[in-house]
Amino acid sequence: MSTGAIAITGWGVLSSAGIGADEFARAVTAGRGSAADVSEMFEEPVPRQDAFALVDFKVRDYLGRKGTSFLDRSTSLAMVACGQALADTDLVVDDSNNERVGIALGTTAGSVKSTSDYSRDTFVQERPYLVNPLVFPNAVMNCAAGQSAIRYRLRGVNTTVAGGALAALSALRYARNLIGCGYADALLVGTTEEFSPQVAWATHFAMEAGGGDLAAGEGAAVFVVEDADAVREAGRRPDAEVLAIEVGLHVPADEATAGPETDFSESLAGCVVRALSRAGVEPGEVWAVASAENGMPLTDGFEDRAIRAVLGDGPVRLRVKEFTGESHSASGAFQVAALLARHRADPTLDGRVSVVTTRTSDGAIGAAVLRGWSRGVE
Amino acid sequence: MNRRVVITGLGPVSSIGIGAREFSAALRAGRSGISPIASFDAAGFPHYMAGEVPAFDPKSILQRISPDAWGRTSQFAASAARLAVEDSGIDPTELSAARAGSSIGTTGGESQVLERLTGDSLTVGFAGVDRELARQVPASRLAVAVNRELGLTGEAITLSTACSASNYALGYAYDQIHTGDLDYMIAGGADSVGRWSHAGFYRLGALAEKACAPFDRDRSGIITGEGGAALFLESLESATARGARVYAEVLGYGLNCDANHMVAPDPVSIAQCMRLAHRNAGIKADEVDYICAHGTGTPANDAVEAKAAVEVFGERPPPISSIKSMLGHTMGAASGFSAIASVLGIAESFIPPTINFRNPDPQIPDIDPVPNVAREMTVNIAQVNGFAFGGNNAITIFGRYS
Repeated sequence: MSTGAIAITGWGVLSSAGIGADEFARAVTAGRGSAADVSEMFEEPVPRQDAFALVDFKVRDYLGRKGTSFLDRSTSLAMVACGQALADTDLVVDDSNNERVGIALGTTAGSVKSTSDYSRDTFVQERPYLVNPLVFPNAVMNCAAGQSAIRYRLRGVNTTVAGGALAALSALRYARNLIGCGYADALLVGTTEEFSPQVAWATHFAMEAGGGDLAAGEGAAVFVVEDADAVREAGRRPDAEVLAIEVGLHVPADEATAGPETDFSESLAGCVVRALSRAGVEPGEVWAVASAENGMPLTDGFEDRAIRAVLGDGPVRLRVKEFTGESHSASGAFQVAALLARHRADPTLDGRVSVVTTRTSDGAIGAAVLRGWSRGVE
Repeated sequence: MNRRVVITGLGPVSSIGIGAREFSAALRAGRSGISPIASFDAAGFPHYMAGEVPAFDPKSILQRISPDAWGRTSQFAASAARLAVEDSGIDPTELSAARAGSSIGTTGGESQVLERLTGDSLTVGFAGVDRELARQVPASRLAVAVNRELGLTGEAITLSTACSASNYALGYAYDQIHTGDLDYMIAGGADSVGRWSHAGFYRLGALAEKACAPFDRDRSGIITGEGGAALFLESLESATARGARVYAEVLGYGLNCDANHMVAPDPVSIAQCMRLAHRNAGIKADEVDYICAHGTGTPANDAVEAKAAVEVFGERPPPISSIKSMLGHTMGAASGFSAIASVLGIAESFIPPTINFRNPDPQIPDIDPVPNVAREMTVNIAQVNGFAFGGNNAITIFGRYS
């Protein structure tokens, strides 16, 4: 039994900054990515005309028309990202091993639009039960993982983690446990989040309350995760090893007065310290931190304070949301993907160590430690 | 570390009883928790029965968090957790200082909050809805509510693998203690009834009119239900050291995926999941004394489940009953309630009945559904089945601690 590190051996990503690992890597390296005009995307009004959305994304362009017409957007994004990740890895998945290959996908609340539209139909249809049974599974949170398993015939453990901003790290941790305890050999691990009027408004409310001005985003990123020791022993070079993932909850001292502005910096700093310790890494070795900062001054300040308290001013700071928007659960995977992106084309960073930090407005916190390598020459 | 993991506290918040004692008595009595829907306006729905929990009063259970700040499903989760901790007898202050966390399963999360927002938006638009409510939508809040109610600083993970989610949560919690990552875990699940799911199951043709009759010849579907189920897990050493009452030991679990169809269950895959669970738990099929069935009461599920049981256990599978006949289908909480029922059965030597059972179904294998009356018998090993949309199969195995 191994409880050690996990390796990422391939990945896929769809974000407004780029589609596919290579395009995303170029965008991250150039710091490129901007919001698009979303005013024509939906019938319902949206709070602002711009979002980091994949305005022209149509699942049939990637997966064909067969079996895709009823898919929700969140599921569609995840399925395409899973396919990209499988194409990007040297792991071969076929009928001989697909019982040992699973999926762990993170979300905030599934396809919120699908669930909300379902409720809406019960209010506005002539009879409350006149909903469309074909899209009922879309309204349930495990749709993306279930549909992806069907598409790619992955019969191993199939899990959905509802963690919001923490979901990507939770899903990685969940996968590490499965692999370490011997329940699976490999998993597609990532998060998916769709842009919709519902999400746009919820993001807008949160930004106004927190004094920020960032638009919502969407997308998915999926990583092929395997046991790091096994990958190394096979002489394969991974994109990264995830050396540690530590999560926890900042519990406010007084629940009666607790709001989203509770200072979580000490709890998050403790989380980063634990992650470094478990990874066997000194703070001075860390070259970059991909943070969850989203332009809300107070909570960004807490996160920043936690990072600086442990790592000082040395590491490069990747603020992924600046060019991919507030994409909720997808943002966590974008943070990981941004670090992989920087490694992908830059051999000078081979073997360097980076950190991911995140937090939710409810007090969940997390930190991960990665060691990355470039693609290309061995 | 490979620590043995035991269950020392139970917290059911259900339509047939709140707290372990009430729940156990109701299981033995074969009580039905099904009543006409009151939590939403069911006018216009041809079927209007559900397993709601009208007696649920979060204010009387929750000590730290304020119910007003949390959706109903989070309230269920946190209340069930509080009851499980009280039942375990552990000092709450000691617990909050320990390495402790929670894993909570769900199908809909706080979708009834989203449903309310959606309803409100029809008159005031999304721009005009209650912004505090909008903050309550993320499903991660279920496990977060548990941790914040109990002051736990360890991992709080919400697993939204639909109707087998509690078994996923139990399995993950078991691993956390087994490997030594954490010392105490609350595991279980929670869900609330709502219009959208009631409508969805009706349109799938999977909703029974008045009663859920699993394995019966004339079964016609599920009754939607709700509630919160929580179990308190710790290492055997910890339980022994503090002189705790041990209900049962968690022996292991199995997970797999049909990867075949989003809603139709697959007997081959389910049989494989049973074998996987047995292997991981280190037991043989013939050691299982009781199966707490997924047993939704739909024609498809019960036929597939019985077929898979015969495939794995042979012509005479152990008694296999469905407590969904009493509770309805509590979705993400369902396998949590089944685990609580099985653990009580192990500790108190009984198995709960399948109520509403009238006629065996000649179309499905001959099984013993423990018809209508609970049975006094020794249960050394119990198997809890959980299946879900997406082909998310999850089976947990519990054993008598001796």
